[in-house]
Amino acid sequence: GHKYYLQFTTEDYRSRQNVGNCLATVFYQKRKSPPAVTINCVDTKDEKQIQEEDNTFYQKIKQQTKPIIASDIPDSYGNIEPALEPVWALAVVGSSYIMWEKSTENLGYSMAQVKSVKQWIRKDDFTEFDYTVLLHETPTQEMIPCHMRVIWLPGHPLKVKYFCAPENQLSEEASGMESGSAAGILYEKEENF
Amino acid sequence: MTHVKESNSELVTQHYLGKTSENRTMYYLQISQPSNKTKKIIWMDCGIHAREWISPAFCQWFILQNYKSDPKIIRFLQNLDLYILPVLNVDGYIYSWEKERLWRKNRSSHMNGTCYGTDLNRNFNSSWGSIGVSYNCSSDIFCGSGPESEPETRAVAQFIERKKEDILCYLTIHSYGQYVLTPYGSTTKPPSNNEELVGDENFGPLEIIAKFTGANENAVPILNLQMQVAGKAATALMGKYGTSYQVGATSLILYSNSGSSRDWTYMIGIPFSYTFELRDKGTHGFVLPPDQIQPTCEETMLAVTAIIDYVDQKYFPSGGVILTSGSLGLSLCLSVVFTWTVF
Repeated sequence: GHKYYLQFTTEDYRSRQNVGNCLATVFYQKRKSPPAVTINCVDTKDEKQIQEEDNTFYQKIKQQTKPIIASDIPDSYGNIEPALEPVWALAVVGSSYIMWEKSTENLGYSMAQVKSVKQWIRKDDFTEFDYTVLLHETPTQEMIPCHMRVIWLPGHPLKVKYFCAPENQLSEEASGMESGSAAGILYEKEENF
Repeated sequence: MTHVKESNSELVTQHYLGKTSENRTMYYLQISQPSNKTKKIIWMDCGIHAREWISPAFCQWFILQNYKSDPKIIRFLQNLDLYILPVLNVDGYIYSWEKERLWRKNRSSHMNGTCYGTDLNRNFNSSWGSIGVSYNCSSDIFCGSGPESEPETRAVAQFIERKKEDILCYLTIHSYGQYVLTPYGSTTKPPSNNEELVGDENFGPLEIIAKFTGANENAVPILNLQMQVAGKAATALMGKYGTSYQVGATSLILYSNSGSSRDWTYMIGIPFSYTFELRDKGTHGFVLPPDQIQPTCEETMLAVTAIIDYVDQKYFPSGGVILTSGSLGLSLCLSVVFTWTVF
């Protein structure tokens, strides 16, 4: 198999400020099965500040009087309405779970755009959103639509359920990889923006 | 020869290049300082992939520079003509504005109108159809029915082939990823070049992806002149807003692909052939926020002029002061980051 040693930094997408340093190993032993990953990150950003920013985002969503329904975020010209920025950011985080599961040694992803989003108002404090996102797949260059449901409350594990359009037969990675299965439910540690 | 009065309208002229699949006209712009000197040519095209909107935006920015007052530009225009194709894939670009923002290919029709589009950057005659492509029209990397099957490809290839003796540099602008890419995409074998540099070139804090020869402590990167020049460009770019680009061969940094325009121009003998992948690194990808358009264009301008400067100095050395874009008067720490992956 192939073993990769990675050293990388993470940065805030707005300020380009360094927020973390990570060391990881990724071991692809067998083709078509998820790799073994070890990872260690050190946050360079202050925990309190992270929580504050999460709460600001959360409040912005909670302040909406009607369920948020939107499409094309960003729009064709790259604009994101300020009120919708947290919704976009939440889609990025949710998509990162999809990409974590979908990525292989030969296929990588980025979230290209939120095609649509619909909020489900809940009686409890959680926020819940139904998304259709487009994932840009390399090197095939395809745009993969994924249906994604995200449930979030700061200080709680993020819940993501998703279903992506099945890979078409022409890609090298056989379509059998997705096994036609339905939503994958994923519980993860608390996620910060 | 008569001296022509300087004015932008006499510097910039529009010329017919060819037709697209949907029969639209392709024009290139020639920026040329009238004189009796024979000039060499720098070619730059943008918008080969429809959704990469920052690319035509950059060509447009480039064209709107002030050619009359910028001393650097005035100097190299004495020896070099600039040929700019602001949008290569006109049909695809229009389609991405009107119908589907994330469209990539051209709009040629296949299978009786049931499937559209060839990836123009897989359609050139450089190891065409061999790797990193699909033979299926539905794919976004469909290489076409044959090399140069697309009218857009033919229009560009025929022109460049005719002028290749005079073209010193070929630049093709894409997004996204923040890379300056050197040949090849179709093989990991470094391009043969009788001006190879090994080891101690100071690339400063740039990230260069290179193949190695030797092992462990004795491992030495295989660098070449193309990479050195690309490194100058990336350094100049980073000086503006701190945006960092990676430099190296497509097949090592990205993935293997055949039929690219950049590989083809290098194969027919154009020594300085580069692909630029502009901002960003995936946060917004193809749909870059409007407030990043101007900074991207400004920093990219510095990179492109660094390359043109280098070419100008190399082929038209002057006796006077030699300005290199690398000599910023800073002593950068010698830290070259090399990464290599097991294939």
